[in-house]
Amino acid sequence: MTSSAPPLLAMRGIAKSFPGVRALSGVDLTVHAGEVVALLGENGAGKSTLMNILAGVHADYEGSILRDGEPVPLHSPRDAARHGIAMIHQELNLVPELSVAENVFLGREPTTARGTVRRREMEERTTRLLAGLGLDLPPRRALKHCQIAERQLIEVAKALSLDVRILVMDEPTSALADAEVRRLHAVIRGLTARGVGVVYISHRLEELEEIADSVTVLRDGVCTGRRAMAETSRAELVRLMVGRPLDELYPRRPAQAPAAPPRLSVRGLRLPSVGGGPALHGIDLTVAPGEIVGLAGLMGAGRTEVLQSLFGHYGARASGEFTLDGRAYRPRSPGQAIRRGLALVAEDRKAQSLVLGNTVRFNASLAALGRFGTPWRTVRRRREAAAVRGQLDALAVRTPGMEVPAGQLSGGNQQKVVLAKCLLTEPGLLLMDEPTRGIDIGAKAQIHTLMDRLAQQGTAILAVSSELPELIGMCDRILVLCEGRLTGEFHRDPARGPVADEESLLTAAMARRTVAEAPKTAVVDPGAGPAVPAPRAGGPAARGGGADSSRGGPEEANEDEESGA
Amino acid sequence: MTSTLDTAEAAEAKAPGRLRRLLPLFGSLQSYIGLVLIFAAGVATKGDVFLNQTNLTNAVGNFSSRGILAVGVTLVIITAGIDLSVGSLMGFASMAAAMMLFHHDMPVWQIVPLCMLIGAAFGFVNGAGTSWLRIQSFVMTLAMLSIARGLDRQMSDNASVGTTVAGPDGKLTENSASFQGLGTPGHNVLVGVLGPDGIYFPVLAFVLVCVVFHLLLSRTRFGRHVYAVGGNPTAARLSGINVTFVVIAVFTLSGMLAGFAGPIDAAYSASADPMAGNGYELDAIAAAVIGGASLAGGKGTIAGTFVGALILTLLDNVLGLNAVSDNWQLVIKGSIVVFAVVLQRPDLLRGAGRRLGRRFGKTPPSEEKTA
Repeated sequence: MTSSAPPLLAMRGIAKSFPGVRALSGVDLTVHAGEVVALLGENGAGKSTLMNILAGVHADYEGSILRDGEPVPLHSPRDAARHGIAMIHQELNLVPELSVAENVFLGREPTTARGTVRRREMEERTTRLLAGLGLDLPPRRALKHCQIAERQLIEVAKALSLDVRILVMDEPTSALADAEVRRLHAVIRGLTARGVGVVYISHRLEELEEIADSVTVLRDGVCTGRRAMAETSRAELVRLMVGRPLDELYPRRPAQAPAAPPRLSVRGLRLPSVGGGPALHGIDLTVAPGEIVGLAGLMGAGRTEVLQSLFGHYGARASGEFTLDGRAYRPRSPGQAIRRGLALVAEDRKAQSLVLGNTVRFNASLAALGRFGTPWRTVRRRREAAAVRGQLDALAVRTPGMEVPAGQLSGGNQQKVVLAKCLLTEPGLLLMDEPTRGIDIGAKAQIHTLMDRLAQQGTAILAVSSELPELIGMCDRILVLCEGRLTGEFHRDPARGPVADEESLLTAAMARRTVAEAPKTAVVDPGAGPAVPAPRAGGPAARGGGADSSRGGPEEANEDEESGA
Repeated sequence: MTSTLDTAEAAEAKAPGRLRRLLPLFGSLQSYIGLVLIFAAGVATKGDVFLNQTNLTNAVGNFSSRGILAVGVTLVIITAGIDLSVGSLMGFASMAAAMMLFHHDMPVWQIVPLCMLIGAAFGFVNGAGTSWLRIQSFVMTLAMLSIARGLDRQMSDNASVGTTVAGPDGKLTENSASFQGLGTPGHNVLVGVLGPDGIYFPVLAFVLVCVVFHLLLSRTRFGRHVYAVGGNPTAARLSGINVTFVVIAVFTLSGMLAGFAGPIDAAYSASADPMAGNGYELDAIAAAVIGGASLAGGKGTIAGTFVGALILTLLDNVLGLNAVSDNWQLVIKGSIVVFAVVLQRPDLLRGAGRRLGRRFGKTPPSEEKTA
């Protein structure tokens, strides 16, 4: 870092305004060859704007950008590519209908003299690129059948297929489970060893300690600090980021005595694989009022599927014995689930929870319109507005008003709108899928506080998270899933069972059954009546039947390798 | 990460509250201006003839069946679907109405509900195909366009059926006379209440349909659900909305409105032609789009469609009065649609300008500094 050669990349005095908003002013960023620079800041601090300038998305900006000491104008993504700058966006830029190989070489397909695509060469190169990232995927698989973690690595492969010198990764791990994060970090270290400079945006501080060499912190469009990673602390970074010390990120009060009978109890939850997704093979769980139960596991372990099954998303395809508030419950549709007092904070707020073009009010009241209804099925808009305003205030949503399109809010505030929507239905059981994914640390702490408050008020919460510190910090009990089975249960209270720590959770999350073992248990399985499809063997695995079986093998081998390392 | 679109809308959202509440009632401001411009053009070129009450009444009457179709199509477009079959459905309903009158001498109060029922049944099939069989609505309703037209022509043996039925005394029969009241000016609905001749029924019907469906979309839970399904079907489903029901319902309503427009159109032309309503779906879609509906779903209002329909109506009328040939009328109408869409989304134009500028290697200096 002290070399006399000019840095690989220097951004000097960068400023950028949007109508009515000064997004950035006088920001400097320096990246040396082989260095990982972390870019840190709350949502709305200007990280994405800065990186979009670097990627040539914003043609108009003030300030200068120097590449190896030479000023370079970056006015289009093409300019950026020409100077060896590649960006992996938070929302992945991949085409779901195309194959993995077609995505990697999109727009740069190797062609023959006649202009036809050399498919085989493309696929071979893709396989090699992916292998270099420790990913064994058939290059012909349609991207839509790949999991988010896999897509992330496909984006990396795509960047590598270019001659990339500077790689920008915008929250690459927000959708990844911890083991997958480690794999990605190994990949990044490989890149820096080759002299690539990496700009790494993440909200997870513990991750930065592991991967970053230096860190640049932004707040409200201004650079508030530059530190060598080794010479700083989490506390300092948080202070630079939020401008105030953050006393408690996990405000969970000591576990309450769960004397009450469980609000929800599930026995033998089964789900056939839907569209190539993970299947569930008989899961038992209970959630008591006032209890926060966590679901841990790797990508594809079936965590989301558990929540979605309970919420009626899969209708009758999800089978098992469900008891809700002492009464039998049969998840049929989300509408019925909501009427029975369930609410779901879905995994992907943009794709699954919000109508982005519609107003905050529209979104917040959408699931609870019945509460403001008249006999004519019209909506009492005053009452609706009052209720929505109440929730928005209680959740401290920062928005110019209720009539602003939800898409204009920052990630954290969007997530709070989703929470407001769920809470307006007055749920007795709140299902939360990655409730704090991709939101800044301030909003995160607020959502944690809210979870604690809801639990105190007697709401039962079942939460999925890929961030182990979050689960350990917030949950009274953590259930670990692996390949659609329960592989561990951990407690907050040492008196009740094994205590959760990251290592034991990870071990349980990777407690895969070997290939030889799986069919044996499937046969022995006592719950498998004639109506219930045997795990793996059956199920209407619509179009994914063939692809599924081809996937199981290599992936598993791959994981074993990793856990051994 | 604020895109130009977001910020443009943000600026709009900051407009004073009153204006913001009123604007949607007129559709977007731009289309309202367009309406005024066309009106001015009419006055400037053909002053008295244009402003004549009979002329305006006739103009709206001529377009009202298409306007009614446009309301149904707007509903479908908001759910991110499209209904191409409305013209054919209207044609079928007008033929059915004429035949009920001509062959069975049925009274108008039976004919209209029956036609609406027939239209609704066709619409239900559209909706069922779209949501249960997962056929894309473009394809499903394109097929229905063909099917309904074929049935129409088969049923009528390819011949027009008149709706002015003379009795033995040489005068119109009672049922025929009241049926004609649906579509001809003169002694009409609300006689004495509003003017000596009352209100021209097609105009009344169009306005009434607009009011009812405006309230349905803006005030009811169903209306919210329609927008949610169009804006994000997954989020709608996870919010407890029965998406299948909503999709089937909007197609059924669209078909029902086509069934309602049928008898009106037959009465207006005093006969049902086997090709009646051919191409009307395009006018209906154009009205919705001019009114601000987006084929991507989630956006659109009945008020906007109302203004869009008026623009097309007056445009037809002004061009007709100025003896512009039919061929050029089509060209102008198409251009207006493009123009209207660009006007409503100025960001599209700005973006295109920037892209072109960059392609030719120069960024306009005005954009270098200011955004």
